[in-house]
Amino acid sequence: MAKAPKLNSQPQVVTANHLLSGDVVYLTKAATWSRRIHDAAVVANVDAGAALLAEAEAQAKQNIVVAPYLIPVDASVTPPKPIQYREILRAEGPSTETRPAA
Amino acid sequence: MYQYDEIDQTMVDERVAQFRDQVARRLTGEISEDEFKPLRLQNGLYLQLHAYMLRIAIPYGTLSSRQLRGLAQIGCTYDRAWGHFTTRQNLQYNWIKLEDTADALADLAKIQMHAIQTSGNCIRNTTTDQFAGAAHDEIEDPRVWCEIIRQWSTFHPEFSFLPRKFKIAVTGSPNDRAAVRVHDIGLRMHKNDAGEIGFEVIVGGGLGRTPFIGKTIRDFLPKQDLLSYLEAILRVYNQFGRRDNLYKARIKILVHEIGIETMREKVEAEFAASKDGALKLPQEAIAQIAAQFAPPAFENLSGISADYANAFRTDFEFGLWARRNTFKHKQPGYSIVTISLKKEGAPPGDASAEQMNAVADIADRYSFGEIRVTHEQNLVLAHVKQADLPAVFKALKAYDLATPNIGLASDIIACPGLDYCALANARSIPIAQQIALRFRNWERAHDIGELKIKISGCINACGHHHVGHIGILGVDKAGEEFYQITLGGAADEQAAIGDLIGPSLNTQDAVDAIDTLVETYLRLRKSSDERFLDTYRRVGLAPFKEAVYVSA
Repeated sequence: MAKAPKLNSQPQVVTANHLLSGDVVYLTKAATWSRRIHDAAVVANVDAGAALLAEAEAQAKQNIVVAPYLIPVDASVTPPKPIQYREILRAEGPSTETRPAA
Repeated sequence: MYQYDEIDQTMVDERVAQFRDQVARRLTGEISEDEFKPLRLQNGLYLQLHAYMLRIAIPYGTLSSRQLRGLAQIGCTYDRAWGHFTTRQNLQYNWIKLEDTADALADLAKIQMHAIQTSGNCIRNTTTDQFAGAAHDEIEDPRVWCEIIRQWSTFHPEFSFLPRKFKIAVTGSPNDRAAVRVHDIGLRMHKNDAGEIGFEVIVGGGLGRTPFIGKTIRDFLPKQDLLSYLEAILRVYNQFGRRDNLYKARIKILVHEIGIETMREKVEAEFAASKDGALKLPQEAIAQIAAQFAPPAFENLSGISADYANAFRTDFEFGLWARRNTFKHKQPGYSIVTISLKKEGAPPGDASAEQMNAVADIADRYSFGEIRVTHEQNLVLAHVKQADLPAVFKALKAYDLATPNIGLASDIIACPGLDYCALANARSIPIAQQIALRFRNWERAHDIGELKIKISGCINACGHHHVGHIGILGVDKAGEEFYQITLGGAADEQAAIGDLIGPSLNTQDAVDAIDTLVETYLRLRKSSDERFLDTYRRVGLAPFKEAVYVSA
């Protein structure tokens, strides 16, 4: 059986929480932040994500977002789907959520 | 109930103003996230998986109807019109915005509430028996002592930066409903041979990564020495507790490492040096606080209300609910009502703003305007006339609050788990919902009888899984959710840490395993009076383990 690819070698996107609202956000190609992973800029792997992450960290210093980091995604689907279960929940919301957003 | 005086109100108002300024400075960049984080945590504001979470302190789980309405209003204004009641007898909002937090705290201050010390390495909200002041088996109302501890510990300068968080619980009844043996300090009120009431002091209990049942450090502590003795314990812990390793910093590790005898020597030496000092409680001060918890104006009632007896006999649903959700009151003609927040399919502990308002109205009409929060994530109306129980049932039912399942398999404690919590490894709420569905048949659930299932989404054990008759711990295995099952835990006066039955199971197998464990119990029990826990203690782990793994 073929070995699963390492998470670091997977395509990546940058995520963070929006400082004011706390919402989960993703860095876009235009270096803005979107609440939809659909809009996220996707890079080939962690190494390629370095510049993206640097941009995100600069924005964290400007008090736009908190604690940005790279996450691996399956980029063969649209929108890209996070690999880790925690990140799927962050992207899609609580699995038990039945309440409308304010 | 305790009312803020001018000093309390000023202190809380000033704290809100201080936090408002801290948020403003964070937004302008004057302070960084690293600098801001401890400040927001000191005001109960966490950044969770999806949003900020604000944890509100409910001192010893006691609320007035005005406060509950206020919490509902805050939920509507700043959250999604919901609140989540926790195992710490607190309330959490899961969808707060940073920009709104100071306003939310200001609204809380208007109803004499706050979020101070709901986070950080300080003495947290002291918890107690939800039936305090009402239970027939009570020796003395523990809320008086919780209030004394609250006044002493809030903003205590020496204990604001302990090695780790610190939790105290008090019970005034021999039947422990406050889980005192799994707290950093547990206080059990009892009478000594001379007929005096004082405290057994238990230290070093706790759950989490390394669970321990607390050890008795003092068999009998006179009441007036309570704060001096607590201060002595805290002082020893502050001096000798480990600060080099987060996972070894709780007092339970200190007690385990140096032993209870050495711990006792150190505490007693500290106590001897300070016991007759400023913290010795004057009788007048105790009496003044006790007066704030004076019993409400009960009517003199005798016998069983005809209305109640008639409804019990003729209304099957009411009878089911009354058997399961009411508890014997110390005052003739009254009952204690537990309101289940475990309706089938609902996340345990959640209440909508509409439900909170309804409970506040029902409390005003039938229970002296007071509500309690239980560590098992339910609500309590402490003083309901038995004659009013049918009306209370009807009113609760209209808001989906009359599920007759207190203490049964579907009355599950579950932490928020990976659906909300940044620390969790697996979800807790969905597995709680699936298990509750298995026990939706009231006939089966009532036949099974008392069964406490407790679920945590990570080793921090906010769902108290170690002390569940059946405990479930979510773990992450290569990105998939798995669940470890423990059996035989208990949080009462015979507290015990559960035994692990074997390898973890995937979600479906874990839910099936709970069914198998219950069926095994039903097969093994001597009679319908033998509870799951009694059967487990009699027969041990082996038949349960075999049933789950051999049949798998």
